[in-house]
Amino acid sequence: MSRAMAPIDFRANAQRVPATMPAAVQKATTRFLGTRAALVDLLGQELWQTLRQAGHDLRLHAITHLDHYLEQAEREVVKAGGQVHWARDAAEANRIVLDIAREHGVRLAVKSKSMVTEEIGLNHALEGAGIRVLETDLGEYIVQLLGVGPAHIVVPAFHLSKEEIADLFRTKLGVEALAEAQQLTQIARLRLREEFLAADMGISGGNFLVAETGTVVLVTNEGNGRMCTTVPPLHVAVVGIDKVVPDWESLTVLLKLLARSATGQKLSCYTSFITGPARTKGDTGPGEYHLVLLDNGRSRILETPETRETLLCIRCGACLNICPVYNTVGGYAYGWPISGPTGAIFGTQILGTKVAGGLPFASTLCGACNDICPVKIPITEILLRLRRRVVEGDEQEGPMGPTMARTGAKMGALALGTPWLYRLGSRLLKVAQAPFRRDGWLAKLPPPLNRWTMVRPFPAFAADFRTWWRARSREGPRSH
Amino acid sequence: MSPAREEILGKVRTALHRSPDSPVPAVPPAARVRPRAAGPAGAETEVLLAEIERLAGKTRRLASRDDLGAALAELIAAEEVRKATVWATPDLLAWEVPATLRARGVELVSPQADKRLVAQCDLGITGVDLALPETGTLVLRSSPERPRVVSLLPRVHLAILRPAALRADLHQVFSEVKADGSFVLITGPSRTSDIELTLTIGVHGPKSLHVWVVEA
Repeated sequence: MSRAMAPIDFRANAQRVPATMPAAVQKATTRFLGTRAALVDLLGQELWQTLRQAGHDLRLHAITHLDHYLEQAEREVVKAGGQVHWARDAAEANRIVLDIAREHGVRLAVKSKSMVTEEIGLNHALEGAGIRVLETDLGEYIVQLLGVGPAHIVVPAFHLSKEEIADLFRTKLGVEALAEAQQLTQIARLRLREEFLAADMGISGGNFLVAETGTVVLVTNEGNGRMCTTVPPLHVAVVGIDKVVPDWESLTVLLKLLARSATGQKLSCYTSFITGPARTKGDTGPGEYHLVLLDNGRSRILETPETRETLLCIRCGACLNICPVYNTVGGYAYGWPISGPTGAIFGTQILGTKVAGGLPFASTLCGACNDICPVKIPITEILLRLRRRVVEGDEQEGPMGPTMARTGAKMGALALGTPWLYRLGSRLLKVAQAPFRRDGWLAKLPPPLNRWTMVRPFPAFAADFRTWWRARSREGPRSH
Repeated sequence: MSPAREEILGKVRTALHRSPDSPVPAVPPAARVRPRAAGPAGAETEVLLAEIERLAGKTRRLASRDDLGAALAELIAAEEVRKATVWATPDLLAWEVPATLRARGVELVSPQADKRLVAQCDLGITGVDLALPETGTLVLRSSPERPRVVSLLPRVHLAILRPAALRADLHQVFSEVKADGSFVLITGPSRTSDIELTLTIGVHGPKSLHVWVVEA
């Protein structure tokens, strides 16, 4: 992804969502929220809330002392025999991975599901250089065959029916496939098993990077994460600089929060810990290990204290699952791989308001995301800040809102703050609305105000507040 | 040092109003999160095995090492095991696991053999370095005697542990193994719900997981 990306039109995208999407999304999100709630009850609310607060404080401490922990992690990885690379942006990260691949004559790379490599478009960069890149998470494998991105950050293909997947396997893999989950999974297992053994390079992201020992932590369920980081002779992990946690005590807290919030599991099936290449002869595992630390706008997010908590996210997906907007439109409407409330606050800042300025408005501000977030990110507060950034501009971005809206807001502020202007304005409004008034409603207004009345009528302006208040005081409070 | 490194660290420091020698306060105490307390020893084993069963793993409690032979014979028959590979750890050797398999006609593949040979094995047998009852989790360390592929590539994974491996909470596990270059936590057999949320066991990892506790 680069800043040359076309602006994301959330409204238009949302209108193109297939009719089957909301039901599929809600089936999945209801399941995840249910299993999550049961596990939270099992721990007890008190302990859960203590965990959330600790998770928040630890992540905030990590990102506000990020320089220190990044240097510590780097030292430890080098000590363990790994190589550390720093990438300022997506292009630089892709070039680093491509250079490593070329140097080793890599023809086939297997990849474990990773949102950061989706963010930088790594597959595209490697494929452009003639390297086959295979997604190995079942859901990612399916959406890759289909030629699209993930619809959910945890379960990428949950919106597809087993019939659609069977058709896809028939056409793309040339195999007879019954529309049955068990059989389809076995087909993917057999196909990918051969590829794991043949692959020259394994690529992963990282859920966490523990600074204390430089260890990358990878949380998966299918075993493909272990395959990618164990079987090929070369492993490259691409990790955002925001993924750092200070130490193993912090990691304990965050692991307890992650799987419970994501899939309603106490722990995911496999949690892998990788610090460097295989240490001694005879120890299986890649002989060479590279860690790519990616900035791509994250340091810029740190600049604004009011929005920097965006970087606390551990990508569990709980805010997607609870979000009424996400539940209606699914992931694709967000126009980039990281969807839902967390994708909206992260995307607006990573892609810039010119590209992603629509995303902060893709929310009802109901606040359910704040309440469910395992690391207590104040998502709606950040959404509001970002709405303001989009409309008015700030030290990070120029104003993006329509001039008319900005001027209107400024005039409104001036009128409300100046008593004589307010009184004059309210008298003028009463006169100006007369031609449009029908039974106490303004049904049709001329442009640009028709943007409101196209959708619903506007109540006619009755009296200004001061006049109404004086009248009310004279009559005494009404009884109803 | 690379210009990218200096630029990224520079931007981070500017954003945070820090310099290379700015102090770093203590990490907020994670210890205020009350760790799980261990139950009585026998009960802990029950909790572990019940949790693994809940996750679709198969479990057995063996009163002593003398019961291993019969249990292995049953497993070989039930899972149609022809080829197997075994960790070369002291416990498994002392329990004569490789010899028992060989006596039952199972072909043994060295755990350090080429990955394609290990992948052809029906059964991979490992020990368990540590285990967490609450979550049904096995901790497997990595070393020349304990190749990672044994618990990953064969169709069936059998993990045999002693009750001494049990720990109450994750933070105890980490304090013991964090200096290892590589280890893995295994919580039930490999699974996915990626197709219409239908739970499917055995995606890329072993299709079945057996966990046995040898009590004495």
